[in-house]
Amino acid sequence: MGEEAKEDFEPKIIGFTCNWCTYAGADLAGTSRKKYPPNVRLIRLMCSGRLDPMFVLKVLLNGADAVFIGGCHPGECHYIKGNFYARRRIAAIRTILKQFGLDNRVRAEWCSASEGDKFARIMKEMAEDIKKLGPNPMRGKIL
Amino acid sequence: MKGTELKYEDLEGLLKGLLDKKTVDCLILPHKVGNNVAYMMVTDKNKIEPPAPAIFAPSFSVNAANIVKGWTIKEKIGIVAKPCEIRAAIELIKLKQIDKESVLLISVDCSGAFKNQDYADHYGEIGDWVDSAKIEELKGKGIAIREACAICDHRLADVGDIGIARVDGEKVLVTGITDMGLDALSAAELSLEDKEIERKGEKEKIAADAKKKEEELAKISSMEELEEFLRDCIVCKNCRDMCPVCYCKECFFDQPLGNPVGGDLLNLSKLRGAVGVPANQLMYHLTRVYHVSTTCVGCGACEDACPKDIPLTRLYPVIAEKVQEIFEYVPGRDVEEPLPFVTYEEEELEDKLR
Ligand code: SF4
Ligand code: SF4
Ligand code: FES
Repeated sequence: MGEEAKEDFEPKIIGFTCNWCTYAGADLAGTSRKKYPPNVRLIRLMCSGRLDPMFVLKVLLNGADAVFIGGCHPGECHYIKGNFYARRRIAAIRTILKQFGLDNRVRAEWCSASEGDKFARIMKEMAEDIKKLGPNPMRGKIL
Repeated sequence: MKGTELKYEDLEGLLKGLLDKKTVDCLILPHKVGNNVAYMMVTDKNKIEPPAPAIFAPSFSVNAANIVKGWTIKEKIGIVAKPCEIRAAIELIKLKQIDKESVLLISVDCSGAFKNQDYADHYGEIGDWVDSAKIEELKGKGIAIREACAICDHRLADVGDIGIARVDGEKVLVTGITDMGLDALSAAELSLEDKEIERKGEKEKIAADAKKKEEELAKISSMEELEEFLRDCIVCKNCRDMCPVCYCKECFFDQPLGNPVGGDLLNLSKLRGAVGVPANQLMYHLTRVYHVSTTCVGCGACEDACPKDIPLTRLYPVIAEKVQEIFEYVPGRDVEEPLPFVTYEEEELEDKLR
């Protein structure tokens, strides 16, 4: 865990969120003053189907502690099938990362624009889970 | 299944017939070169040498599917190769890198193969053909088949359009697997009859054996172990170039982002304080693991190609198998079966997301 005491460790989470649902859900959480830990940096995608699993690899190899992916509920993708394809890609990349013990740093959720509460809850859970896990072993590595 | 039993020497006539009757315009075929075998592309039937036992030689050089990658012309090519090579060709058809109507895929029984240089060096001991007992005996003498072959459970000639199975003595059983295959055999004037070629027992034995061997393989189970495993990798990308199912016209790792040079490289170092060079070693391998995860046939061509002797079979095929399991997909099993990433079920995989 390095020199950092676990309690002081503030995880860095990168979130890839769909413009039409989770990104708006995060916005709603903010405007309705739902409290959640400030560990996540969101990157807006036009659809979860835009997520290239290479993004996940790059984030983890560059030392961020976790990746969050938020998309529309199955059946509600604005491009009809984007999240169905995304689900397959995420399942595959998590299966690969599982071999190296990194899968528990990647979490995907379906979260709509009206689910500000859900978004806040997931962020809270993730921050807690990753705090328990400790920093990403790839942090600070010369890669 | 329809097929016919032939003697070794009759195989020559069959292959010549395929060219003669214009069923194919050319054939990719293993032939003897000194103590070894190599592929040739033959268009003139008079250049065909007696195909057996060369086609069964336990020697792996290049994955033949890699040679026909990009075969999108109308002229038809026949390929006589091991099951892993035929399966790779089937994946390439699905990936639109080979035109389905332009290939006739002929698989041959495989016993497991030696690296071609090992085969040539020990030809005296190995001979033209091995079975599992002989493989064990040779292993005792320090002459081992490739790790990819030790864990391979697709060794029977039951893929592609035509299968050439070895039967006792110097005989083969030729079967038509698809309509294209049956038509080709009929055109070559073989009289086909119903043949029982299930070989269920044999299949189960191979699968059990392969599974055992796979369990014995050293595992890479953490990022630290992966770093250590790849320590000597110089990112030459030979493993990619020899991979039959890696096919991008311009690979990400040949572009500025994937292969930063000059100012780009300097910027990267400034950004992070230090950067490993050649750059992107881990990113390259993990990306490739993902890119071939559904289509990797486990032929071991990557490992053979590595100038640093990194045992890549422990990385690529082993992890690909785990991904293939979640989609219940077997690459090369069926040309009509869609690739996992171009299809989906409305309800699935929710337990694999978090
Ligand atoms: S991977 Fe399988 S089919 Fe290919 S050469 Fe080895 S044993 Fe034969
Ligand atoms: S062939 Fe070997 S050295 Fe070259 S990129 Fe692949 S693993 Fe690295
Ligand atoms: S539009 Fe939101 S996941 Fe496709």
